Amino acid sequence: MDVSQYLEIFIDESNEHLQNLNTQILNLESDPNSSDTVNEIFRAAHSLKGMAGTMGYKRMQTLTHDMENVFSEVRNGNIVVQPGMIDILFQCLDALDEYVSNIKESADEGTNDNQHLIDQLNAILNSKGGAAAPAPEKKEEAKADSASGDGKKWLSIALDGAQKDVMEEAVRQGKKLYGLTITVQESCILKAARAFLVFKAVEENSEIIVSNPPAQDIEDEKFERDFSLIVVSDAEVKDIIKAAENVSEIESVLGDIIDMKEMNIAEEKKVVKEAPVATATAVSEAPAERTAPAAKAEKKQTPGKPVVNRTVRVDIEKLDSLMNLVSELIIAKNSLVSISSQDETQHSGAFNEQIEYLESVTTNLHESVMKVRMVPIESVVNKFPRMIRDLSKKLGKKMELYMSGEDTELDRTVVDEIGDPLMHLLRNSADHGLESAEVRAQRGKPETGSIFLNAYQDGNNVVIEVGDDGNGIDVEKVKNKALERGAITPEQAANMSDKEIIDLLFLPSFSTAKAVTDVSGRGVGLDVVKSKIEALSGEVEVKSKLGEGSTWIIRLPLTLAIIQSLMVVVGGEKYAISLGSIQTIEDIHPSEIKTVQNKEVIHLRGTVIPLIRLNEVLDIESTKSPDESMEVVIVKKGDKQAGLVIDELIGQQEIVIKSLGKYIKQCKFISGATILGDGEVALILDANALI
Amino acid sequence: MDELRVVGSDGVQYIVVRLGEEQYGIDIKYIDNIIRMQGITRVPKVPEYLKGVINLRGEVIPVMSARLKMFLPEDEITRTSRIIILKLEQHGTVGIIVDEVKEVVTLDSEHIEKVSYDSANTEGANFVNAIGKHDEQLISLLDLNLLLQEKENA
Repeated sequence: MDVSQYLEIFIDESNEHLQNLNTQILNLESDPNSSDTVNEIFRAAHSLKGMAGTMGYKRMQTLTHDMENVFSEVRNGNIVVQPGMIDILFQCLDALDEYVSNIKESADEGTNDNQHLIDQLNAILNSKGGAAAPAPEKKEEAKADSASGDGKKWLSIALDGAQKDVMEEAVRQGKKLYGLTITVQESCILKAARAFLVFKAVEENSEIIVSNPPAQDIEDEKFERDFSLIVVSDAEVKDIIKAAENVSEIESVLGDIIDMKEMNIAEEKKVVKEAPVATATAVSEAPAERTAPAAKAEKKQTPGKPVVNRTVRVDIEKLDSLMNLVSELIIAKNSLVSISSQDETQHSGAFNEQIEYLESVTTNLHESVMKVRMVPIESVVNKFPRMIRDLSKKLGKKMELYMSGEDTELDRTVVDEIGDPLMHLLRNSADHGLESAEVRAQRGKPETGSIFLNAYQDGNNVVIEVGDDGNGIDVEKVKNKALERGAITPEQAANMSDKEIIDLLFLPSFSTAKAVTDVSGRGVGLDVVKSKIEALSGEVEVKSKLGEGSTWIIRLPLTLAIIQSLMVVVGGEKYAISLGSIQTIEDIHPSEIKTVQNKEVIHLRGTVIPLIRLNEVLDIESTKSPDESMEVVIVKKGDKQAGLVIDELIGQQEIVIKSLGKYIKQCKFISGATILGDGEVALILDANALI
Repeated sequence: MDELRVVGSDGVQYIVVRLGEEQYGIDIKYIDNIIRMQGITRVPKVPEYLKGVINLRGEVIPVMSARLKMFLPEDEITRTSRIIILKLEQHGTVGIIVDEVKEVVTLDSEHIEKVSYDSANTEGANFVNAIGKHDEQLISLLDLNLLLQEKENA
């Protein structure tokens, strides 16, 4: 059986389930009595086990199976959640994670049996004696669920009125009622297919009235190793059993005649409204149809089931190509706009109207495609509570992670990359930021340190703040370290502002931790964080107050492919400046220019702003005479500002960012190129790099 | 006649281009496209031989002047000037400006003579790795990796 085509889905879904388990077990730790959490854990573990089994990953299946057993007992109230147990469960999750990453690399789960974990799980199971008295009806449920019982399970099938009628009618016609319980071999990969063959075989000389679980669930492999059927037939029970046993990979088939009185007919249970008026004629209908009402009834009995997201997994490459097509469309639209604006007299009003319509359609289309590419940062930050919990134990500090804005969305490519930098910052906060308990007590802070991660959207940017209420950055310490390392000279140090000194932390191989722990402090941290974020066209800054804590602020663009820009002309050449970095546009007369330390500045509404003459930066002659008044674009980066002197403004335009190709080692302040409506290429200026 | 000749197992097809007075051959397998001259957008702060970028059906492609790279006088753009779009694994897609595209020739290995210059004293010629003979003409066969390599400009 070749299951490799499902491998990708398996890995994706396993990771999802593992993440879910991680989150839920954390919840369980803080609230051990939440039955919702336990149910959710049970479901996730169960699906994981089923998937591992289907794919033939035995070790993974065994481990999840034992975990599931524990959860099942917890659910039934036979085991009380204890801290030690949570630790073991986390270890199990790590082991499962290892299996999945092995599978990802080599399609093989590896050879680690994790026997010690299984033993520990079993020890938990065996120690359940002292647990709270379980509610009797829950125990019954467990019996029905448990895979190990080998009794006549059909006796526990709950029948509704219609099914009962069918059965009674059949008995009246002199037919016999049989109950069957079929157990599939444990090694069976395609349980659903085997079950289907059993159905076929049984149907040859009988009619299936009820199946448990319902046929639909069996088809979806939503069953353990066994399922039960109630059939009517003229044939002998042993013939039916024989037919079912002929299907390969079937471990056992149990069958016996049914006495109607034995069955627990669930008349008090709600019968589905649209249940067909099932008479004896229903017996001849297709099996799927007959079991449908049962399936529906089943669904109604489990109202707690969360609504499954209606999603489709799409290859990111397909999205990229869709995005490229949208880009082409926008370029084509731009060229129509530029044709229409060239000589308006030739075109009727209707033409312009259509162009405007096209413009709104392409903008909407672009937004939709962008949204498809957007994913909440949840998928990345979800693993952090667990990480902080582990760090807390490892470092022996009490700490709590507070997160907000997990639903903030970012482009998929950005989300994939942002995990490592965030993890780094969090580790930093936990290790360097938070003080030890004694110091905290001295400073009158609560013993438990808080680390926070807030994400929110701010205009065309997404801001992620990572911070703590710990020690803050000790500027003197950083300064001394920099001197010691020779990163700065003593004269420089004397003239540096606190902010500049803190920025030194982003230099490569700079770590102030006195002791290297395996959490952080190898000096490969912050510069990597910075370069990674800058590679994503983002920026990072830090605010810190000694003794009160520090906050790292990461600012990322919402999208990397299409931006709103201001088109300008410098020396006859067209350039685009991202609208996101532009604050205002000013008309400045040359007489307003002052000189400070040989640099041109202007005084604008109380702030002194340095001027950058773009024609000089771009090595080109300005077309304007020096005494003419100048157009100045005021751009900002963080709290720094600069005025870019341009020759002419063209206007706002939506542009598609294209790379200059790998042959040109582009200079720092050109972030790419774009194609204008007339097919001309214009370069995009990175205002951040100019400041 | 040329078209009818069966390409032998060791025959390689070259596009013959003119740069100044000389003829150069470019291995056809690296050529993606040949286009007419079009507006080139200048890119600041790059070596002089990099003329800028063009728009080739929605892609932004860098264009360099083969003349400047080979220390020949600055290009004169005429009606016969063309941009040859090259696709190399190492450098991606790059366009080079040539004065004229003449023909496609097939050269067997016996018509190709390897040359090994002392690259220090023959400037401009060190982008050539062989000479091909075709109908009494000599064609210098360009080593594109050398031509596109950046540090040659030092």
